[in-house]
Order: sequence, then structure tokens, then C-alpha cells
Amino acid sequence: MPTLLVQLEAEERRISFVFGQSLRHILDGADIGVRTGCRGTGACGLCLVRIEVGEVGEPTFAESIHLDNAQRAQGMRLACQVIPQHDLRITLLSPAPKSAWRRLDGQEAWCGKRCLVFPLRNLSPLVKGSYGVAVDLGTTHIRLSLHDLASGHWLAERWGLNPQVTVGSDIITRLMVASESPEQARIVSQQAVMAIGEALWDIAIREGIDLQQVVRLTLVGNTAMLALLSGQNVGRLLQPDHWVGAIDCAPDDTQAWAIAWGIHPQAVVEVLPPLAGFVGSDLLAGVITTCLTEHEAGSLLIDFGTNSEIALWDGQILWVASAAGGPAFEGSGIRCGLPAEPGAIYRVTWQNGVFDFTVLAGSEPRGFCGSGLVDLIAGLVRSGQLTRMGRFSPTIPSEGFGLIRGERDLVLTKRDVDMFQRAKAAIGVGIQVLLANAGMGCQDLRRICVSGAFGSSLDVPNAQEIGLLPRISPDRVELCGNTALTGCEEVLLSPVAARRLQHLKDRARIINLSQCSDFDTLFLENLYLQPL
Amino acid sequence: MMDLLIKALLDGDQAQAIIQASKLREAGVGRRQIITDGVEAAMAQLDAKCTVEQFNLLEIMLCGRAATGVMKVLYPPSTPPPQTKGAVVIGALEGDVHDLGKNIFKMVLTAKGYRVVDRGKDCPVERLIDTAEQEAALAIGISGLITTVIPQVLQIKDKLVARGLGHIKVIAGGAALKQTLAQRLKVDFVAQNAFDGLHYLDQMRG
Repeated sequence: MPTLLVQLEAEERRISFVFGQSLRHILDGADIGVRTGCRGTGACGLCLVRIEVGEVGEPTFAESIHLDNAQRAQGMRLACQVIPQHDLRITLLSPAPKSAWRRLDGQEAWCGKRCLVFPLRNLSPLVKGSYGVAVDLGTTHIRLSLHDLASGHWLAERWGLNPQVTVGSDIITRLMVASESPEQARIVSQQAVMAIGEALWDIAIREGIDLQQVVRLTLVGNTAMLALLSGQNVGRLLQPDHWVGAIDCAPDDTQAWAIAWGIHPQAVVEVLPPLAGFVGSDLLAGVITTCLTEHEAGSLLIDFGTNSEIALWDGQILWVASAAGGPAFEGSGIRCGLPAEPGAIYRVTWQNGVFDFTVLAGSEPRGFCGSGLVDLIAGLVRSGQLTRMGRFSPTIPSEGFGLIRGERDLVLTKRDVDMFQRAKAAIGVGIQVLLANAGMGCQDLRRICVSGAFGSSLDVPNAQEIGLLPRISPDRVELCGNTALTGCEEVLLSPVAARRLQHLKDRARIINLSQCSDFDTLFLENLYLQPL
Repeated sequence: MMDLLIKALLDGDQAQAIIQASKLREAGVGRRQIITDGVEAAMAQLDAKCTVEQFNLLEIMLCGRAATGVMKVLYPPSTPPPQTKGAVVIGALEGDVHDLGKNIFKMVLTAKGYRVVDRGKDCPVERLIDTAEQEAALAIGISGLITTVIPQVLQIKDKLVARGLGHIKVIAGGAALKQTLAQRLKVDFVAQNAFDGLHYLDQMRG
């Protein structure tokens, strides 16, 4: 693959690219923001770069309008117009302001483009050209996407860290801090509000979108995130009595948010209500977008995360549970763990005694993300280098299994395996308890929808081998990406989806796993790295 | 034969551990010796592993379960309780329904010869204190996975002192408590893991 060298203020970046993409697209994909006012059509002339070394062909018509002879003589071009074929070295002349927000791409995106399930809103001709925003407010990450409300077209997407992680990485700590005083609650709420604003601003600058045209914003999240955002009932979530009951997380004044975000002041801002203390609207959105309750009995949805949520449809009842397994699937708490970002090993294969791996964005490997971890552990088990109990064979040194040795070691430690086992066991218990409540067994499952941390790159047979997923035919396992966001988009764009979401409440039944009498025994059984 | 028992325990093989313990008894080895040279030796090896970051929850749970099984064989519920190093009352506080950590602590203490009185999960402070008084306990062990139990933790020592039971030590453990200093929690010791708590108890007994 040809290489693009980019001179930035502080560093030089090296990016491999495939032929056919514009320079702007390549840069944006590597999260090097370029200023633009036209979403890359060549109309605004803002995305200036200077070609230092390399062949790029003749200027396009758009460039001939925006660039004068002197500029062209200096090698200036528009990033959206240049489609490089060979190695290239450039300097950015109009970088976008530094942003913590990234495009959702490749791994993160859900089968490339959206295929909407539900019919669109009927918009009066007056509001044509209006946009809607869907937000998935997660504990660790915030993801949002912008759409044309009339056509349903997807326009832009961003993801970034939830700044509340500075208050506490886990939900409980944040709830504790927010429940100390109304002032604290306001600060924590504002962190999330501001973050959403920054993401929208990033879209405005980099895609050239007028935020005043955003007339609707729909938000989903787990219950704690919704409570922290609205500042309602934060303290009650700390009491186990409220975990399975309904909790009001409706915000008081969304107009102030709309103004802070710079969207239309009369924009409809809806925070989709959670089902109960530990079942948020993020899971409900997932149930909607996968049409879980529209299919035959025996459909299971697992939303993998720090708190994984599990929903089982038995034909009449939607059984729901939340399993707190820790952040291992998201690459946190693992020695060489990474979220699914460039440099993360997302696939590991073991063949003929040799491990091979694939890195996201084709860059230098810096660590494993969740799916890479699953592959590596399954490979070690299959090759007899790791017992089902989670113990390395005597040939593995005590510091752990080294996938890469060299300048930067990439090692899987025994502690990593332990963290993974615990996270996996929590979910295994959840699945078994829900199945038991529905009077079903693994063999009755007809469909499994996997959403959340693993994106779309989970190797299903590997996941089944170590008991992360029940063993059903792999072609009945669907990797759905982030169903919370896609479900939220459905509700944003379609009143039919919104109505269906409201009706889910009547069918759902919540199970509190920690109150199961045989939790310990089940948990112990599920710690083994063996099929469910 | 003792080595076989230790191996079975470390492998977490409860059935094999019980077989080996029974064989040792038939060969005339005393209960006390089986515990000291077998169960405790296995625990010590596990302990050493835990301190070098080789911790694996499944191994510990399995080993603990196997050890508890062996103890039941050595001292069936019908036999008079053995001479123990003393009683320890444990529980997860009111509002906390997670008790995995507490159960591991129980297994480790039992294997090392303490008599553990488990008051289960969601347990009020008063009930723990009542039990500690009845059992003439050395210590009360409380676990907290969620930070909401902290107000209850803060009361325990004062309540013990008020009832003239200030000599009973309070040990706290669990995710929500272990980063906090003992002084701030008003307890005698904050254990980082089950073995840490065990060392404190052993040390305290002298």
C-alpha cells in the first residue's frame, strides 16, 4: 500500500492508504481533522494542503476556481479533490481545531451504511432540510450520528470519551459524587451536556453542517447515565430496592441544552426513558433495531460492555438482566488492552503452531481489543497452551504469553486471563439464568444478536469455544455493532419505532442476577474457558 | 500422600482431595496434621501465587471449595467442633447482595483453621455484633462491593465499643472499601484480598 506522510505541528504521521479515496477522506480516517464547509464537495475551498513530495495529477475544476496561480505554483491543493495513487508527503494548511471526537469508522460502523427497518417520519415540506441527531450516552464512550430527517440519510458520526470518566470510571462512583450535592449533580450533568456539544461542533466544523438545522435530538443510555444527565433520582440508583423498579430520568429543561449545543432553540430533545434501575434505554433501543421481539421464540441479544445487558425473547416475555463483568471486553484493565482503535489487534489466528494477527487500520500493533483477546485466548486453549481453568502450560514464562517480543512487548498475563474469565462468567450466568426463567435451554436458541464492545469483528466459533456465546450454528449469530445507537437512530427517524419502544415495557420482565440463590455455583462453572 | 492432597487441592479437584484426605485418615494421620501439612500448605502456595500477580479467581474458588470439602470430611457436622484458632464473624452489609469476596475469605479462613460464622449477605450491623458477642469472636469481617455501605462500616467499631466489645477487631474488604485507609473507615484493618486479611488475623493472634 502507498504511504502518506503528513507534517503536523508537533509530529509527522505516516498513514497507509488504498487507492480511490480523497486525501481528505484518508486524513479524516486517521483522525487528522481538516477544516471544511461543504462536506468535501469542493465547494468551500477550505481544506488546503501543500504537496511537498509526490505525484498528484492535475488540479480539478473546483481547485482551479479556489486556487490562484501563485498558490498552485507553491503546490497548494484541496484535500477533498486530490485522489493520491502513490507515496505522498504533505503539509496541512488548515487543520481543524484539536478535537477529542473521532469518526465512527470501519470496525465501529454497523455494516457500512444504515439499512433502516422502520418507515420514516412524515415531515411537512416546510421542514425539509432539517437534521436529527441520535446519541448513545455510554459509561465510557459517547457516540452520536447526524441524519437528514426527511430522507433518513446518514450524514456524519462521532465517538469520543465520556468526560465523566474523570469523576469515576465506574457508574457507582459517579452516582456517589453526583448525589453529594445539587451543585455536584449539576457539574456531572454539564460534563455530558458539554461533551455532546463538542461532538456536534466537531461535526459542524469538519463536515460543514449548520447546526441550526438540527431540529430533533434523541438520546439513549444506561439508567445511571440518564439519571446523571438529567440530575434526577441519582441517589435512588444507589439503593438496590430501586434497581428493578421504574426510575424517572426525564430532564427538566431541554431548551437550555439546545441553546448550549447551538442546535435549533425549539428542537425536540427526547431522552428515551429506561426500563428500570439497571436496564437502560440503550438496551431497549437494541431490542428495537434487532426486531428481537418480532422474531420467533429463542432470540437472544447480548450487549457487551462494562455492564453487559442481556435480553431473551421467549415468544411472550422479554427477559432482561444486567451482568456487571468489568471492562475487559473493551480492552480496559488488560495489560496490553486497547479499545477498538488504530493499532489494536482485532483478530488473531492460530494455525500450524503459529499465531498470526491483524491490526486495525493496518498500523503498528499497540495492543489487543476485545475481539483480538477472544481469538488469542481461544487459540491458546485450542493449542493446549492455556488450560480451561485459565492456567498457562509450564512452557509459558511466568510473566505471560508474549505474542510479540521486541521493542514493545505485547503480552497476555495470567491476570488478564482472569479478568477475561470473570467478565465472561458474569455473562454466562446471565444467559443461563434468563434461559432457566423462560424454561428454555441453550439448544432452544434460534438467533443470537451480539452488540457492543466487539463491534463486527468477533470470531463466533472462537467465542463459542471459550463459552462467551452459546453454541448454536454460527450463521445464526448476528454481529450487530452498536445497536444502542442504531436503535436510537430508528426512534429518531421513525414514529413506528418510537411506538414500539413504548410497548416493550409491557412485555419485559427484569431479573436481578445477584439475588439468584445459586449465583456462586453458576459463576464458578462459568469461569471455565469451555463451551456454554 | 500429603503431596497428592496438596496437588488435588491446588488443582481444585474436590473429589480427589477428599479421597486423599480420607486415605490419610485411614493411614492414621491426625486431623490436625492433615490440616497443617496439607490444607494449610496448599493455601500457602496459593497465597504466594496471589502476591506475584498470578491470581486467578477460578483457581482460588476451586481450591477453597476443595478445602472446605476436606474440612467437612475431617469434621463432619455431627462431631464436636475442632480446636480452632478462634471464631470470625463475617457478612456482607445491608444493601449489598454481592458476596463472592466474602465467600472466598470464608474458605481461606476455614482452611487455615478459623471457625467462620457466616451471616450471609444483606446483613444489618446489629446482627453481626450480636453474633460476634455470642460466639466470642476474635474479629468481624465485612465486605462491601458498593460504596453505599460505607456509612454502616463507619458505625461498627463505635457500636462495638459502646457494648464493651471494643476488643473485637473489625476487618473490611471488597472493591468499595479496599482503597480506603483503615482510619478513615474507622476499622482495624483493610484487607486487599482474602490472604491479606488472613495474615492480619494470624499476626494479631501473635
